[in-house]
Amino acid sequence: MKKFVSRREILGLIAKAGASGAVLQASNALGIVPDSYVDIPKIPPVDSGNRPSVVVLGAGVGGLTAALELKKAGYSVVVLEAAGRAGGRNMTVRHGDLIDEVGNPQICDFDDEPHMYFNAGPARIPSSHRNVLHYCKELGVELEFFINENKETYIQDDAMLDGKPIKNREFTTNARGFMAEIMAKNFTNAELDQPFDEWEIEALMRSLRRMGDLDEDMIYRGSTRGGYSHGGFLEHGHAHETIALRDLLKSALFSEALSQNEGETGPMLFQPVGGMDQIIKGYLRKLPDEVFYNVMVTSVMLQNEGIEVVYEHKGIKYKIEADYCFNSIPTHLMTGIDNNFSADYKEAMAYPRRGEAYKSAFQAKERFWEKDDIFGGISWTNQPIEQIWYPPHGMYKEKGIILAAYNYGGGMHFTQLTQEERIETAIRQGEKVHPNYRGLVEKGITIAWHRMNHMLGCSARWQKSRRGFTQEEERLFQTLRQPAGNRHYTIGDQMTKHTAWQESAILSAHWAINDMLARKSGSTMPGQRV
Amino acid sequence: MQKTRLLAALTLTASIAGLFSASVAAQQYAAVDTTNQPLSNEVCATCHGGAGQGNPVVGGPSLAGLEPWYLRKQLENFRAGIRGSEKDYIPGNEMQASVARLSDAEIDDLVETIAGWKVIENDHTIEGDLGNGQALYANCAACHGADGEGNEALGAPGLVGRNDWYMFRQIKLFKSGYRGVHPDDTAGRLMRPSTQSLKSDQDVNDVLVYINSLDR
Repeated sequence: MKKFVSRREILGLIAKAGASGAVLQASNALGIVPDSYVDIPKIPPVDSGNRPSVVVLGAGVGGLTAALELKKAGYSVVVLEAAGRAGGRNMTVRHGDLIDEVGNPQICDFDDEPHMYFNAGPARIPSSHRNVLHYCKELGVELEFFINENKETYIQDDAMLDGKPIKNREFTTNARGFMAEIMAKNFTNAELDQPFDEWEIEALMRSLRRMGDLDEDMIYRGSTRGGYSHGGFLEHGHAHETIALRDLLKSALFSEALSQNEGETGPMLFQPVGGMDQIIKGYLRKLPDEVFYNVMVTSVMLQNEGIEVVYEHKGIKYKIEADYCFNSIPTHLMTGIDNNFSADYKEAMAYPRRGEAYKSAFQAKERFWEKDDIFGGISWTNQPIEQIWYPPHGMYKEKGIILAAYNYGGGMHFTQLTQEERIETAIRQGEKVHPNYRGLVEKGITIAWHRMNHMLGCSARWQKSRRGFTQEEERLFQTLRQPAGNRHYTIGDQMTKHTAWQESAILSAHWAINDMLARKSGSTMPGQRV
Repeated sequence: MQKTRLLAALTLTASIAGLFSASVAAQQYAAVDTTNQPLSNEVCATCHGGAGQGNPVVGGPSLAGLEPWYLRKQLENFRAGIRGSEKDYIPGNEMQASVARLSDAEIDDLVETIAGWKVIENDHTIEGDLGNGQALYANCAACHGADGEGNEALGAPGLVGRNDWYMFRQIKLFKSGYRGVHPDDTAGRLMRPSTQSLKSDQDVNDVLVYINSLDR
């Protein structure tokens, strides 16, 4: 027997799900769209005869930010990077590049052209990420707009309309129309606990009618906003057939379609011209002699004065001593590196779960999406590939690189497949969105972050529950954020409440530098600054 | 670089450059040939710890101190899919993929290289009843030796210096039939019934506490 839902309950559900303005406000309060600010550490310049030394572990965005700011103030800086390239998860894959997955190394075989690249890690910069934008400006990284939201893309769900893909505009127009109608039917003075006056009711009805494209009787009877099936210019336009609410509800993407592109993935978004790693190249231009590659750290030891790092390069071990260490090595790998940190610190280091994420990309033999009015944006599917991204750059060129799968939360499905299976699966699932997909794509690459050498994970996951940090998790986080022995800072996006973003990595580096400065300046006082 | 204090180098390990230069079979969609490509030569350390001491957080056990014959056997077993093919056992799957393309010569090199690694004492992570553990160990001693020294003839590795969390997991895998069931895993098939004498997790913990005590 079907559960009967009262009109007031429906209203409550809609208010919860649909009121994006209110949701956004609430999200702000919950930290989902975190406030970011530009507060570049003001590091007092040091005496050239007595320069403090810093060893930075890891040449990702966090490590490079720390290195850059400290170098500018006159510190002696060395950056040790385990991989043969800088950037960490900021990784742009082009012709000839190595994808260093443990057990599945790949060499990218895309055509060698400037627009033929794939951002395997971060791929979009929200306009609210002021610090990333600050460094783009400072480092001379040219930006262009990134298109995330595009209603010309597709929504495909095996459970809906026999799996037939439909344009996002059709889906959302119909979904919004039916929701507006349901809301309009329920908004009468008598049925609300909090009565509105006539003016308010009228204003509400007017906006609902506009929102859902309802008729005079506040009924949704279809809309041309979903596009025309034919005509529209020289002939009268004919709307697509209305899709029943019942059909739309069959798709789990119903809730997704109306909530995507809010918060940090809402407009405006940017990308560097020529690939996300232009940011890394910008940092490296300012750090030409400081970064050392193919260096595996084997021990990090606090000493009475300073910190000692032992590393291995080409089979030879070296020892380096410095006043401070800024360490962005993933905590789950640092637990496998010899150290003399306190038991509390080690416990905290072992806590965060390594994130699972998976991306894959194809070279498209032709830009087939452009013939379908698509010039960027994302198609959504209920299949494990989840998303197909179309490049907003390289318009009308012969070929392009498309994202063929992106699973941020549970990428292990693909990770556990062989390379051949991953590629075949991506093609088979992509065919449900673009029927002739198999013949249009080639030279697939896959990035299983859980298995990438020297990283073995995507962004750190501190929270076991979606409800937020528990008290215990907060304690562990604060323990790890404090400098071990006043000299060793664990940094990177892993040391923020909002992992996975470059903005977070930068803010973590700034926090650590500011903390170091505060402790230094407070050193004339007895005891420790708290 | 000159501003920081670089001190003398000490060579503990030999380079294993070139170990992972095996070619990848040509694929329909990803034309990949990694022959002579500059692949990372330090794949092992990422999972097994910077000095081969193991890393519980990613599930990579210690390698330093493993007997060469045992190490070789396990590399061969992983390569052949005798180990590491268990569904949803992620560390094993990862190891299997990592060694799947190794040649015999590369396995020789690896065994020789790892044999030279200095043993780093592991943290003990398990608590239990030493007395009960000692009693239970009598059953293990038949193959692994009274002092946990191992027995090559029986295919039983030494237990001293191994990570207790790793041994816990392996015993559980044997008990539950994930390990020691492959027809070609002769030693594993001996081990599997032996683990059934450990009736509970507490028994496993107790016997590991005793094995840890052999460390001293």
